[in-house]
Amino acid sequence: MTVNVARQPALERLLAYVLHGGTWLATCIIALGLALPLFGSRGVGLATTGEEIVTAGIAFFILLPVLRVMLMLVMFVREGDYRFGAIATLVLAIIVLGAALGVRTAGGLPG
Amino acid sequence: MNFGFGAWLFAISVGASALGGALGMASGIFIVPILIMFGGVGIHVAVAASLVSVIACSCASSAAFLRNGLTNTRVAIVLETATTLGALTGVLLAGVFPVSLLFLLFAVVLLLSAQQMMARRREPVAALDEAGAKSWATALRLHSSYPDRVLGREVPYLVRRVPLGLALMYGAGLISALLGIGSGVLKIPAMDTALRLPIKVSSATSNFMIGVTAAASAAAYFARGDIDPTIAGPVALGSVVGAVLGARLLMVVSGEKLRMLFVVVLVALAAQMLLSAFGVHLGGHAS
Repeated sequence: MTVNVARQPALERLLAYVLHGGTWLATCIIALGLALPLFGSRGVGLATTGEEIVTAGIAFFILLPVLRVMLMLVMFVREGDYRFGAIATLVLAIIVLGAALGVRTAGGLPG
Repeated sequence: MNFGFGAWLFAISVGASALGGALGMASGIFIVPILIMFGGVGIHVAVAASLVSVIACSCASSAAFLRNGLTNTRVAIVLETATTLGALTGVLLAGVFPVSLLFLLFAVVLLLSAQQMMARRREPVAALDEAGAKSWATALRLHSSYPDRVLGREVPYLVRRVPLGLALMYGAGLISALLGIGSGVLKIPAMDTALRLPIKVSSATSNFMIGVTAAASAAAYFARGDIDPTIAGPVALGSVVGAVLGARLLMVVSGEKLRMLFVVVLVALAAQMLLSAFGVHLGGHAS
């Protein structure tokens, strides 16, 4: 029997590229935000403080795995693998539900 | 932003992540107790900050595993339905769980990790007999193969007992969201015992999944405003730097010595967490 059906080299290369690049980008954003106050700078563009830039970097890190699931969803659907497209959609839906619940309970936890 | 405290956070994250990375563990298991005990940070803030660094480490190391063809992305996405659901449950429970119980749970996870570190992982019996035609893994086409450098060929493997794997992964996601860790403690038995994946595939796939699992809970904590950038920022940055260093460290230091150091640190942190659970504080900052 042939068992080699799960390998998807094209998808694996694409995901590796996105995760690698994304990690560096998010890391650099956070580093920039942390370094700005050291030089007494007031911020860049929309972000007015180093702290806001750091928050943007953190948000980018959180979005990176979500982006990875989206890419998998697109690849599955393009290959006509609708069952796995549905599974990827379910994962995305759970993450969005979590964020929505987080917004509703904002300001909840002490320390 | 207090520069001194930020620099301290960065430094301990580099250390925790370098040590953790060298033995294939996420740094959260060290960072959360250290932040609480020595940084005077509240457990919920420490957990949320640690989750960001867990995502960072997962993304940073996933790329190499993917390029080497070790990650089973189909198994990952199937199990992620369970880990993210578990993470969601964990986020909801974090609000109602008494803090002393969180400390206790953390101590248990630390001790279990120490025990796993002592017992070497053995390659699961990779019998290539026929998986049941009706099994979930066959229906979902999860069976695959990985390139083995030593053997110089593709090694095929079958995936077993997906429902049991899903159940364990739900637990792993829950623990991850509650304690801010990658939760290898539950993922490794799930991968080895239930799914019977080869160790290399299991490490790569588990690492790949940790990012999405942590993202599910971190997104909720972020939306809730629980992520403090002055803490999460330096911790995430330090973790990425540490992860890069950890890979190098592994080549210089003997694995056996590192393993023993790990066990000692884990047990010491567990003892401290147990004391905290019962309201005894030895550290300077704790209040």
